[in-house]
Amino acid sequence: MTGSLDFLLLLSVVGVPLAALLAPSVVGRWLLVLLYVVQLVELALLGSGDGARSAVSFSLLGHSVGWQLDALGWFFAMITVAAAGFSAAYAAGEWGTLNARAGLSLRWLYVGLQVNVFAMLVLLAAGDMVALFIGWELTSWAGLLLMLLAGGEAIAAARRYIVYAIAGGMMVLGGLLMTLAAAGSLQFDAVAAAIPTVGTSALWAITLLFVLGFSVKMATMPFHLWQAPAYAFSPAPASAFLGAISARMGLFAIALVAIKLIGIVQLDRLYLYFDALNLRNLLAWVAVFTAILPTFVAMKQNDARLLLGWHGVGQGGYMLLGLVMADSLGSAGGLLHVFNHATYQAILLMAVFAVIHRTGTADLNRLGGLVARMPLSFLAMLIGIIGLAGLPPMNGFVSKWMIYRALILEGQPLLFVATVISTLGTVLSVYKLLHNTFLGQLRLEHETVKEAPWSMTIPMLVLCVVVFVTGVAPGLVLEYVAAAQQALGLAPVAFILGGIDSPAGTLDMIWVTAILLAGFGIGAVLFYLMGGRSRRVHQLDNYAGGHFLTADVRYQYSDNFYAGLMHRIRPWYRGSFAWAEEALVSTFGAIATAARGFFEQANPAHWVLVGTTLITTWVMWHALV
Amino acid sequence: MHWSELAIELTLMPLVAFVVGLAMVLMMRKIAARLQRRVGPPLLQPLYDIVKLYGKRTQTSHGMLHEIGIVMAVGGYVAAETLLPVPGMNGIAEKGGMITLLYLTMIPSLGLALGVGQCANPNGSIGISRALTAMLAYDIPLVIVIAGVAIHFGTTNLVDVIAQQQAGGIATWGAVQMPLLAIAGLFALQGMLGKQPFEIYVAPAEIATGPMVEMGGKFLGGLFVMQCFQLYTASVLYVTLFLGGGENWIAFLAKAFAVLVIPMSIAFLFPRYRTEDMITMLWKWPVVLGLIGLAFVGS
Amino acid sequence: MTDLTLAVALPLLAAFVRPLFNAGALRWLGQLIGPVVLALVTVILFAHWSTFSEPFAIALGGFAPPLGIAFYVDRMALLFALAVPLVTLLLWPGDDGADGARRQSLTLLLAASLTGLALSGDLFNLYVFYELAAVASYGLVAGNGSSAGYVAAFRYLMISALGSVVGLLGIGLVYFKTGTLNLAELATLGNELADPQGLAAFAMLAIGFGVKAEMFPVNGWVPEVYGAASRRVAALLAGLASKLAVLVIVRILLLMFPSDEARQLLLVLGILGVVSGELAAYQARDMARMLGWSSIGQLGIVFIAFSLPGEAGLVAGVAAALHHLVVKSALFVLAGPWGGAIDRLRGAATVSALGAGLFVLFALSLLGLPPLPGFWSKFLVIGGLADAGTALHYLGMAAVLTGTVIEGAYLLRVITTLYAPPAGSPAPPRQRGSDLLTAGLFGIALLAAAVMIDPLWQTLDALAVSGVDTAAYQQTVLAAQEAHP
Repeated sequence: MTGSLDFLLLLSVVGVPLAALLAPSVVGRWLLVLLYVVQLVELALLGSGDGARSAVSFSLLGHSVGWQLDALGWFFAMITVAAAGFSAAYAAGEWGTLNARAGLSLRWLYVGLQVNVFAMLVLLAAGDMVALFIGWELTSWAGLLLMLLAGGEAIAAARRYIVYAIAGGMMVLGGLLMTLAAAGSLQFDAVAAAIPTVGTSALWAITLLFVLGFSVKMATMPFHLWQAPAYAFSPAPASAFLGAISARMGLFAIALVAIKLIGIVQLDRLYLYFDALNLRNLLAWVAVFTAILPTFVAMKQNDARLLLGWHGVGQGGYMLLGLVMADSLGSAGGLLHVFNHATYQAILLMAVFAVIHRTGTADLNRLGGLVARMPLSFLAMLIGIIGLAGLPPMNGFVSKWMIYRALILEGQPLLFVATVISTLGTVLSVYKLLHNTFLGQLRLEHETVKEAPWSMTIPMLVLCVVVFVTGVAPGLVLEYVAAAQQALGLAPVAFILGGIDSPAGTLDMIWVTAILLAGFGIGAVLFYLMGGRSRRVHQLDNYAGGHFLTADVRYQYSDNFYAGLMHRIRPWYRGSFAWAEEALVSTFGAIATAARGFFEQANPAHWVLVGTTLITTWVMWHALV
Repeated sequence: MHWSELAIELTLMPLVAFVVGLAMVLMMRKIAARLQRRVGPPLLQPLYDIVKLYGKRTQTSHGMLHEIGIVMAVGGYVAAETLLPVPGMNGIAEKGGMITLLYLTMIPSLGLALGVGQCANPNGSIGISRALTAMLAYDIPLVIVIAGVAIHFGTTNLVDVIAQQQAGGIATWGAVQMPLLAIAGLFALQGMLGKQPFEIYVAPAEIATGPMVEMGGKFLGGLFVMQCFQLYTASVLYVTLFLGGGENWIAFLAKAFAVLVIPMSIAFLFPRYRTEDMITMLWKWPVVLGLIGLAFVGS
Repeated sequence: MTDLTLAVALPLLAAFVRPLFNAGALRWLGQLIGPVVLALVTVILFAHWSTFSEPFAIALGGFAPPLGIAFYVDRMALLFALAVPLVTLLLWPGDDGADGARRQSLTLLLAASLTGLALSGDLFNLYVFYELAAVASYGLVAGNGSSAGYVAAFRYLMISALGSVVGLLGIGLVYFKTGTLNLAELATLGNELADPQGLAAFAMLAIGFGVKAEMFPVNGWVPEVYGAASRRVAALLAGLASKLAVLVIVRILLLMFPSDEARQLLLVLGILGVVSGELAAYQARDMARMLGWSSIGQLGIVFIAFSLPGEAGLVAGVAAALHHLVVKSALFVLAGPWGGAIDRLRGAATVSALGAGLFVLFALSLLGLPPLPGFWSKFLVIGGLADAGTALHYLGMAAVLTGTVIEGAYLLRVITTLYAPPAGSPAPPRQRGSDLLTAGLFGIALLAAAVMIDPLWQTLDALAVSGVDTAAYQQTVLAAQEAHP
């Protein structure tokens, strides 16, 4: 039995009314989870790489519009549907029931989720550029649906998002139609064939419009401001879904257009100052700054959701960096990171929302010591942060390793150093997240907190298994990454089950993990079998600075966690981008007020005469010239 | 390679590391004593210390994570040692490389951080925050150095790095080819070891030894073992990158101990920096040297 | 084929007959006159549309073109003429009170004159119909009896009157140079008008007819009038009347002034319209005014589209104009109960879910969310600009794209307000059934257009081919001249 793309899209469309129908009841929500399973199976049956084509195609305005899922789209589609399924499961049980009681519309939530999946499938399976744009816009607006649900501060974030998203969409539309003017067609083949003949300035315009437009969704700098709040303040499953995959649609589109259609060689053709500053290097640097600055912004956040949101922005930088390296290792690393990030980011957000579910807050200064109360959530977050920080043996390490290696082999030491700086910042930041939530002093009011219900912990823990298994055996995913690379026209990466096999340095995670676990075993033997017996004291039985500490004295070290570091680098947080955004908005507001003033003056009739005079002058000037 | 040979190597490498590490601790204490005009401890003192700590009657645990933290701290290094080639034994160094090693050595620190976090002692938490800050400070020059070395030798495989240096003799040693990076590496080494002037996260007078504050008995014993591994790893990594690795055991040990003499001698001559000054210091000179060195490597 | 003249004559007649049945036993007949006449006209026009094969001309009363009143009927004229009774019917004002009869007869007058604008083939007739339409709309705007209505109507009157003077000056200039006002004849004399004087004449005509077409800078009346007039009148003016005025300008441009300078002028004015309109709308806090400014911006896009040379420009322009006709009319209808301050609408979606849903639909189409028709009209406009490829065209492209972003910002502000939790008292305003029905019909039309986008485009393309064929125009009209010696 093989799958059919049409059936998949049909399933996904039918899912929308089904979601509206079934979402209010618990059983219905589990049925919806089942629907995602069915979609995932259907997608898996389609298989990667053989280019399943939809039988439905339209001729619209002289353009043939159709859908075809290649290995690249399939890779992203699998992640998308799976992320939606896990998010749906997370909210299916107690979370949904309690939040519905608190006024959240589960109907809209599940409809929003399914609409997002459908929109993304339309984008990922695009068979030509018109279909690509249709999918792109649908995805942008579908995301808005999820962001608006929570109300309150989410509304402001969503409004900001949509302005950015429309701006991005319009840039893409501009690029699309300039491509049409240059190539005469919007079919992928025709565009790819025509690009080498396009003049440099037109190519600059086309490439920049596409890349900038798409990178708005990626939230690469300087468009990075909207994402963290927009994703963070959505309801839990929406946040997990958006954080896991939504922004990566931008990466998909950049890969498709900049690498497959325009071609990396053409990017080298575009340079500002000799070859040193060509567009590809420029993009690499933009990617690196996107990896660094948002990470350090994340470090300063006091809301766990925002902290993770900013890391999401930062990790996008890695993916873009790997991709624009465009060698087999780097691009594979970038693509693999999409999968890895989706898995651990979903875990982290789910863990944070589990804490919110039980304690009602994500404020990192109002939590602490929950490890004994919510051990499973702690475990999930621990595995998640190891993944996010990119330490072995979790999957985040593998993709980052590939990117580092590509940078070194491509002779880009500065980029390499910069990415490691970002990783170090991530390590600091995620420890703060873990410490302030689960470690340190337990607050009195949290003494009776219970572990999150199984409907929430199971999705997290299953994802933890995925993070670990794909960390130990990245070859499982790299197989599909290699197929996606081929679909992009890049050289596929040489992978083995345990990682990468290359003469300039191998990575075999099976060995590394085995050794690490063996090391832990030895450590455990040394600790538990040797020496005196240790005696456990109660979590609240503490002593510091010469005093017994009681639980009602707050002494958790949480605020300004990296005080020494901040003492040094705080002056570097200039908020320049936020300032620039604000300045832009207020300048714009002033101009808009002036425009409004034009229409509201007392005697607009004068403008008939002014206009006539001006135009007559223009005519006379024409006559003279 | 036969699996039994590999198994022997994988067993021996951490053991060697531990024993050499013990000797390094001894050397450190001897140097301190000499500088302070004391005699210093006897040969087996480090071992006695560990045995004593393990044997203590009062062993206070603040929870399972506290214990697992120590397990990870020791176990992580045990694993890391198998990625670091020594004369005649490569272990699984070919399956990892220097980047993997760099990140694997963060696992013990993470374990320690988890254990300390569970203790709910603010001094401990401050200590970890400072330790991570210190890591951010010294790792930047360190990765510059590593990038330079990897590009110079064209590989991230430590076995190849050693082989290239030994094939070409002293003239091809990293330290000769890349003197600026070697100097920058020394700075990073000093920071990595967490000795004065960079011992901000221990700072007994300020935060009561920070991470160690809730550690007693075999918890502290575990940290002692971790320190042996840490000294060994840092010094051997430096020898591997810059001093041609070990042609034989005598040369290997001589180089490894010699490398440590420098930071240890400096350590006891300086007071402690403040956190922000440590960052400034490490982000200024070694980074500048490293970047210049990198420019030479690149050209 | 003289029955086409009925399309103008019948509503005109009905407009004068309507007040006779204002009271008494035949009151019900009065109520029926308007809708029946409009429906009849729709049927007549639709019959022509469906059997249309070749453009043809009609000389009224048998007087040959240079002297008589000439109608010229091609697909484009028929399409716009058809839109007039149809949309008027949809926006037909109910008879609620003493003013009902007057309002209905003014509406009929407006419909008659707008149909005339679509069909006329003579510059002077165009001017007459245009003035007639203007008079009808003054009455309609002032018709709600509020002081704001009078002020707005006066403002409108001032601009419109001055504009008409300038327009008349332009007509005079054309007549002075060529000795004729028949569009067909003028089309044969293209070269005579291709000098600075001709350009000045075009500019003056554009300003004259531009007042109603909401062209920059003679659109100062728009926000006041739409803010003060009843929403159905605003919908008629913004949706319908402005499009017919645009059609006139396009006709003049195509037939008389096929020069690059004239197109450039239109392009520049269009860009300024988009920028100023969208910017002002961004700062609006009042629903009707916001829609008014947005309409200025949208008409700017229409002008930009029509300034593009060849069929592509015509297709894009007609598509943009029709899309705006549907969407803006519907939005004004929705703004009936939802007029006034936008903040008042907090939580309105909870009491009128359908109304809010329709608002979102129209807003999304306006912003160009594919596959809604708004996307395709934008696609055509920007595609044409990219194809033309001069610096000014790229500027236009930037203006349209940026305008959309601004539009997104303020429309989303309204949408989030609609869906926000209600503020308590006073309760958010509720939509009326009749308005929902009208808006719903427009919504169905929009969705139908989304489904049938390709056949629609092909129709428009065919229409554009005949539209740009000025030779056919001349031949047809001048042949009619031969036929009536």
